[in-house]
Amino acid sequence: MDVRLGPDRVVLGLHGELDLLGAPLLEEEIEKAETEAPAIVVLDLQDLQFVDSAGLRVILAAHERSRQQGKELALTPGSEQVQRLFTIAGVDEHLRIIGSPDELLV
Amino acid sequence: MPRTPEEPVSVNAHPVSDVAIGLLIEAGAVLASSLDLSTTMGQVAQLTVPRLADLCVIDLVDEEGSIKDVAVASAEKGLARELEQLRAHYPLDPDGGHPVAGVIRTGEPVLLAEMSSTLLSSFAQGSKHARFMIENGYSSAVVAPLLARERTLGALSTLRLKAGAAYGEEDMDLVVELARRAALAIDNARLFSELQRTQLAESFMSEASRVLASSMDYADTLTRVTRLVVPRIADWCAIDVVNEQEEIERVAVHHSDPAQLELAARLDRDYRPKPDEPLGVPEVIRTGTARIYTDIPPEALADYARDSHHLELLSAIGATAVIIVPMIGAAGPIGAITLVSSGSSHKLSRADLALAERLARRAGTAVENAHLYTERSRIAHTLQQALLPEALPEIPGAEIQARYCAAGELNEVGGDFYDVLYYGAERWMLMIGDVCGKGPRAAGVTALARHTLRAAAISGQTSTQMLDTLHRALRRQPPGADLCTVCLVTMERTAQRTRLKVTLAGHPPPLLIDAHGRARTLGQPGTLLGVLDSLELNETGAELGPDETLLLYTDGVPEAGRSNTQLGEDGLIELCRRAPSLSLGELLEHIEHVALDHAQGSLRDDLALLGLRLSHLEPPRR
Repeated sequence: MDVRLGPDRVVLGLHGELDLLGAPLLEEEIEKAETEAPAIVVLDLQDLQFVDSAGLRVILAAHERSRQQGKELALTPGSEQVQRLFTIAGVDEHLRIIGSPDELLV
Repeated sequence: MPRTPEEPVSVNAHPVSDVAIGLLIEAGAVLASSLDLSTTMGQVAQLTVPRLADLCVIDLVDEEGSIKDVAVASAEKGLARELEQLRAHYPLDPDGGHPVAGVIRTGEPVLLAEMSSTLLSSFAQGSKHARFMIENGYSSAVVAPLLARERTLGALSTLRLKAGAAYGEEDMDLVVELARRAALAIDNARLFSELQRTQLAESFMSEASRVLASSMDYADTLTRVTRLVVPRIADWCAIDVVNEQEEIERVAVHHSDPAQLELAARLDRDYRPKPDEPLGVPEVIRTGTARIYTDIPPEALADYARDSHHLELLSAIGATAVIIVPMIGAAGPIGAITLVSSGSSHKLSRADLALAERLARRAGTAVENAHLYTERSRIAHTLQQALLPEALPEIPGAEIQARYCAAGELNEVGGDFYDVLYYGAERWMLMIGDVCGKGPRAAGVTALARHTLRAAAISGQTSTQMLDTLHRALRRQPPGADLCTVCLVTMERTAQRTRLKVTLAGHPPPLLIDAHGRARTLGQPGTLLGVLDSLELNETGAELGPDETLLLYTDGVPEAGRSNTQLGEDGLIELCRRAPSLSLGELLEHIEHVALDHAQGSLRDDLALLGLRLSHLEPPRR
């Protein structure tokens, strides 16, 4: 996982597989990013191969937190499996999917 | 009169004869040549004869404070052996009047220039000893302490017999010097063997720790511990534990000699220790205090034996020393490890006791962990039983089957659940779900999900209402709590057809497999439960025909294995092609096996499969 700071955002780049083992690490990183109080947190999933329900839980929890605080959590699309999981979970409509990590958000 | 080692004692104090210098040089060579104590002492004693003495005895104090002769040399053949035998029967009393005992106590040398019969009788260990000394003409003696690092290790005695010249001061100085050098050699040898033993102990303990941590099957682990102990530390090792009936049970035993192992087994079978016995394993387990027996006289064995056969077995084992150490658990002793040395091999000593105690502490922890693990597995199993239905209801004209496989260790309670409900008027509901997470928390949420859905169904709610109820129940959980995916399928039957209604909440869609093995997904995606504010759920209708199969599953099935080797939904659909040639039970088993193969032994999520197949017969009317 790599972390990058932009002018209005923190970008967390995820690689490989996000499962029960990796989920707590991501949760920690997201919470750390949130303490920077950026307007936007971007999860860059372009290099993410796999996510399971534990990973999804962390992403959705972060989504809910940012929504309550009037902030934005955005995601770039992951692998086919990742996208299918979002669809099956019925959350793709709820998540903000952007084309690239630096795409301008209004 | 301990002297500083730097001081060349006898040389400075007195003019010394060539004989004396020669003796000290030779002794130096002998003492430096080996670290084996008994060989070295034998050689030193031999050096003095006949130049300095007719008879030379080296005594050492052992760990218990007893005086043992380690070397005896005599000019006259046979005398040394005779004295050794005598000493074996009449050991010197450490607190008695014998000059050796006195020198060991005071650390000061003694010169007995002339010894009368009266004097000899006064310190003899009984009349036989006195007669021996008098008959062999003990006439003059020097007894010098073996001093090293301010401690008296023993004494070196030189004796002249019969008409030999009486010892003088110079002789005493020479003997004292010889004793000082011998003591240093003894000390070095002891330090060396202590070091060796420490190194041995460390490597032994690290290996033992590895063995003890390797398995949760404690009987197997303890057996391996006994194999580690024998023959390195002892000739025989047995481990007993207190079982649930409060009886002492032997869980492991090993002997270096297979014939002796048979003997040990017989001893255990015929004379199993009873918890209230005053000595041995029961005593150690009762008191939690280690015991070492380095001296086992035949009388003690006879006292301990329950009958003559017992005594026979005990004698046949021929123990030279026994160590029994308690294995201590959180609530006190839980068992004991017994080490026995026999025959001519290394006799167990206090140094081994310390090692045995370390081993027993480590083994005690391992046994306790294994107990806890077994207990936790039992609890996990029980809890799992509570999460899954005991039996699936029978549906006339249809077959229903389920398979479930929890991920990870035995102790992890899975987060998958399924259930089948009949709620009257030819209506059934099949449900399958997955709670994110593992362990007790996931188990709690899983129970909540299953029972909330059940209650909602019984109260007559529709699928969408049921899911909404569960969603709200989950939202009332503490923050950060869990998400849950559910698939509900209601089945309504009439004489002509079986209608299905599928509602998905974040769950993979079920498969409908037709009579030719072609599978298609049912239902439209809906929002998973417990996380987002609002739910979007859709009910989708379908029809299930004769010989068709409905398959509900959790994501653990397609996602078993690493991302590049997963079965995937497509793989699952492919497996369904075999459905027409397999019974429903076989189909589910086949799918489970393939998924487990993909997982390659490390399942990271639970697998659950729930299948329904209509027989081609007309369903009987209720």
